[in-house]
This record gives sequence, structure tokens and C-alpha cells, in this order.
Amino acid sequence: MADKFWYFVLVPMVYLSLAWCIIWMGVKIAELLNAPKFPKTLRIFPEGQSPDDTSGTGWAGAVWDAFTMPAVRRYNPLLWFFLTVFHVTILLLILAHLDMLPQINIVSADSPHMIGNGAVGMLITVCVLYFLFRRFRSPVREVSVPSDYLLLILLLCIILSGDVISWGNSWTENGFVMTKQDFGAYLNSLMKFTFTDPRQFLSGSHYPVIGTHVLLANLFLIFLPFSKIMHVFFAVPMNKLRRG
Amino acid sequence: MMEDQNKTKLLGLMAEKLNQSVRLYLDNCARCGSCIEACHAYASTGDTRYTAVARAQNIRRLFEKYHKITGKVAPWLDEAVELDERWMEKVYETAFTCTGCRRCMVYCPFGIDTQQIQSIAKAMLIGADMEPKPLTMRAKNEITRGEKLEATREKYTKELEKIRTEFVGRWPSLDAENPLPLDVQGANVLFVSMTEKPSIMPAAAILNAAGEKWSLSYFEAVNFGAFLGHAAMTEQIYQRIINEAERLKVKEVVMCECGTAYRLMKHVIGKRDFGVITILQLADRYLREGRIKLDTSVTEGRVTYHDPCQIARNGGIYEEPRNCLKALTDNYVDLTPNRKENWCCGGGGGLVLAAEPEWRLMTSRVKADQIRASGAEICATACEMCFAQLKDLDDEFELDVKMTLVSDLVADALDV
Repeated sequence: MADKFWYFVLVPMVYLSLAWCIIWMGVKIAELLNAPKFPKTLRIFPEGQSPDDTSGTGWAGAVWDAFTMPAVRRYNPLLWFFLTVFHVTILLLILAHLDMLPQINIVSADSPHMIGNGAVGMLITVCVLYFLFRRFRSPVREVSVPSDYLLLILLLCIILSGDVISWGNSWTENGFVMTKQDFGAYLNSLMKFTFTDPRQFLSGSHYPVIGTHVLLANLFLIFLPFSKIMHVFFAVPMNKLRRG
Repeated sequence: MMEDQNKTKLLGLMAEKLNQSVRLYLDNCARCGSCIEACHAYASTGDTRYTAVARAQNIRRLFEKYHKITGKVAPWLDEAVELDERWMEKVYETAFTCTGCRRCMVYCPFGIDTQQIQSIAKAMLIGADMEPKPLTMRAKNEITRGEKLEATREKYTKELEKIRTEFVGRWPSLDAENPLPLDVQGANVLFVSMTEKPSIMPAAAILNAAGEKWSLSYFEAVNFGAFLGHAAMTEQIYQRIINEAERLKVKEVVMCECGTAYRLMKHVIGKRDFGVITILQLADRYLREGRIKLDTSVTEGRVTYHDPCQIARNGGIYEEPRNCLKALTDNYVDLTPNRKENWCCGGGGGLVLAAEPEWRLMTSRVKADQIRASGAEICATACEMCFAQLKDLDDEFELDVKMTLVSDLVADALDV
């Protein structure tokens, strides 16, 4: 029974969650594009520029604002530090997961470790803990809603289970019981739609932890299109509105 | 309980406002709290109800309920709420505890425009007949003035006669044949005042001193339709000025010191055959061109400048009023913070008329502190609403600072 459950989580549910996420993201984007445009400017005017001057307000500036968050850096440097580390580590984790595929070799193909040797996971754990704890303090507590906490807790669980896989894996008496290559084989089978039982690649004792990690990631994908994480796609257009 | 028919009507008004930008703003707030410290009302009171995010949440929670799947499946997740009479009180809080200064937009990592979310609240309040009636009354009066121009023209002309007498007494050397001209075809400048003496006199002095070919508008600049959040009324009110400018074929419409009026005419009405500037941009131009000269001995004491939100961060005018003040005195100091980051006075968005005075002053303590810290004896601004609020702050917080409009200082110091 447990084997069937973990098989469902690790194979069909991954496809279903991903499809669900993509479809709903498409729906959300279409919904937005079909809404009427705002005909007037929503610009905040930069200093040292005439109100008639519309140069330098293009997409490049909006991309810069979205990725470097200059407003947060100026007014809340501590939050900016954690946000920046968080977003950089997210990027590194995406790369690290892609790097597990045999076709991609960012770190040495025969290394048992992922990018960062587990440090990336630890960094993002600290960031998420910071985001979570600041929501329990006034005044952020007063403006938070349940989904803010749940989303962070879900992220924390995904990351902690990832940390356990990454770190706990190398603490066993036998060293690495599951290596980057094993995870790579599992991901590769997903990529090729072989529907192979992951047990064939992931034979170590951490199998349920991996199952839990993937289950939580699936839940995250299911929830993503309805959450504020859609700012991943919309931060740039919103900043463009401010830039004019 | 709210009647179904009424609820449907109000939700319909909300749905009408859901354009692309509003959807983005409602759907993507991370509630990171970056905007909390940005609001003068929160900075003055420490009450989180008066933060951009809390005001937006009052509308966002309705959006969750009626426009999002999560609000239907798991309303507790984002605290989705049913619309009822009790919640309309929260909607009122969103609309009329905010001046629409958009300082929070500067702080937000995404640039969420609370004023846009506020516009939903205002539309719903109008639908529920809960909007502040002084604003409605004034907006209707403005529209009537446009519709019954012939009837009001005579009265206005008589008022101008009185102002003319006082004008000639104050600036005898500017005793032109007609110092307050109306209906000047092909004028370079159509000056839009508040149709009241304090806003007409200084501008008329500047324009006449520069030898400008100008015409005084019949209409007041201030747009109560915009404060009310009534799109149709707003358009009717500014359309009167557009029609007059087009009829007279003027080159430039020059707005008096009124932030919202300037922003509407400059950034909302779209491209026209005439340009739109403020009287302070024009005064700065005259100074640079040597068309007016100022006596620097007239203004005594340290002078500072309050950037009106709709003129500065929302209008793009930062330096011209400062240039005018620096031409008047060597003893000029900026407020801290200033320009894009300046604290709102707390009276904008029509709150000078719509909000309880006690509340309006209580939520503006940070502004009073800022002015006091500058050590200025004169605080000039470029918006009539700010001016009214600053005068109240001076009384309430015993600042002992002379609050004034920049154009007044310039007119007083004209070397004519």
C-alpha cells in the first residue's frame, strides 16, 4: 500500500500537479490580458526628469526594479538582505535540481553532491525562518492572513525535507546511500515519461523523505497559481506601471 | 443585512473597476509590510488600520470572495469576506482614511498603487450613497457652473471687479487697462484659478508683470469629482476647462497651485493642442528669461518647501517651485525627507473636507514634526489643499511657522 502511495506521489502526481499548475497559470494570465487596460499613467515621477520626458522608463528599468528591489533595499535593508539571499538561493536550487539530470553538468557529473554541498538549502532555510518569524511580530502580524503563514510553512517543510535528503544522506554509516546520480536517474525517467517505479533508482533508506519532499512540492505546484507567488510573473509588469 | 439587489449593484461597481492594473495590484501583494512605514497616518498613530496594505486588504478580501476560486473553496485562507453593511464601513475606511498620496507606491517592491484600489472603494460608496456629501455637493456645483455659464458669468464678472480694485491697489505699477482679462482669443496662457481672490491675485501679478498675453478661466481648477472618485463627474469637470482652452485656442493651460487639478490636466486628459503646466513652472520660466524680477529683501526668515504629492511624485514637478523660492531668499532649507519621499500633509484627496478635523490632524503629526525639525519660519507649498491642511497643523501643533503658497511669496516680492 505504501509503495503504491509513494509511486503515485513520485510519478503520476508530479505530472498532474505540473499540468494543473501550468493550465491555471495560463488561465490567470489570460484573465489578466482580457481585462480592460488602464488608459492613464500610474507613474511615480523620478527626480531630475521633466514630466514631459518619457525616456528611461522602459522595461529595462522595470526588470531592474523587480530583480534588485531598490525600494526595499533603501527602506528595509534587513528584509532586502533576506529577500535577496532567498531569491538567489531559489535560483540556485532550480539549477541544482536541473543539474541532477545526466544531460546537464554544472558540477562534476561524478560528484555525489548537489550545487553548494547542502549550504544553499541551509541558507534558504534561514531566510524562510526569518520571513516566518517576522510575520509573528507587529506590525507585519496585523497585516498577515493565514495563507501567508501556510505558504511559508509549506515552503519550510519542502526545504527542510530537501535539507534532510541532502545532509542526512551523507551522515549514514555507509556514506551516500543515494547520490546525485540516483536522483538524476529518477528525474530522467520523469522527463522521458517511462513511468518506472522510482524504487528502482532510489533504493536507500531516505525514500519516504524523498516522497515527502516531492509530495510537498506537488502541493506547492497545485497552490501556486492561486497564490501571491504569481508575482514571479507579474513583478516586472507592475514595476513597469510605476515606471510609466 | 444588505439587500441582494443592493449587494449585486455594489459588486457590479467593483467588477467594473477590475482593469489590468487593479487585478495585478489585488492579486500580487505579498503583504511583506514594506508599505507600512510609508503612510503618514500610521507613522503618526501607530495604528495598522492606517497602512496601505490594511486599506487594500479591505477590498482584496472582497475580491477574494467574489473573484477568486480560493475565496470560494477556502475563504479562510485569505480571509475572504461577504459584502454586507458592516463591511461597507471597512470600505469607507479604505476610501477616506487615505489621501491617495501614493507614498506607499514608492516603498512597495512591486509598486502597488493603493489609489487604484481606493478607487474601487470610492465607486462602491457612491453606489451605496455613503460618500461624503460635502464632496458631492461641491462636485455638482462645479458641473452646474459649466452647464449654466451664462447665468454664472455675470456674478463672476462682478466678483472680478472687486478683485480688480484690490489688485490695482496692491500692485499700482501693474495698473494695466484690464489686469484680469477674460475670454482672450488666441491668448498664450489660460490661467485656471480657484475662482477666488487668494489664487487669482498672485498669479495675475506674475502674469501681468511678465507682460503675458493671458486669459483668466471662468472655471475653478479643483476637481471634487476626482476626490469623490466619480469618474463621470471628474470628466465633466475637467472637460469644461478643455472646452474653454480649445474655444480660445490658447497655447498653454496654466493651473493654479492645485495638485489634483494639475495631475488630471497634465497626465489624465491625454494629448491636446495646448500644453499644461503649473503657475510655478511658468514663474520659474519667467525668472530664467528675465521677464520678472524679484526683490530678495522682501522674504525674511528661513524658508522651506512642502512638495505636494500630486505635484511632485505624482506630477513630476520638483525643482521649479524650489527655483522660485531660491530666487527669493538665500535662506532656503529642504524638508527631510523631501521630493519623491516627502511626507503627505494629510489633507489631500479631499480629506480637508471629507475627514473629521481631529482625525486629520491626529494622523499628520509626522508632518508637523518634519516642519518643526527644519527650523523654518516660512513653509511654502504649491497646493491649496496642502496649504489649508498646513495652516491647521500650524495651529494644532503650535509650530509658529507662516504657511503660504509659493505664488504668494513670488507675487509679494515682484520687483515692479
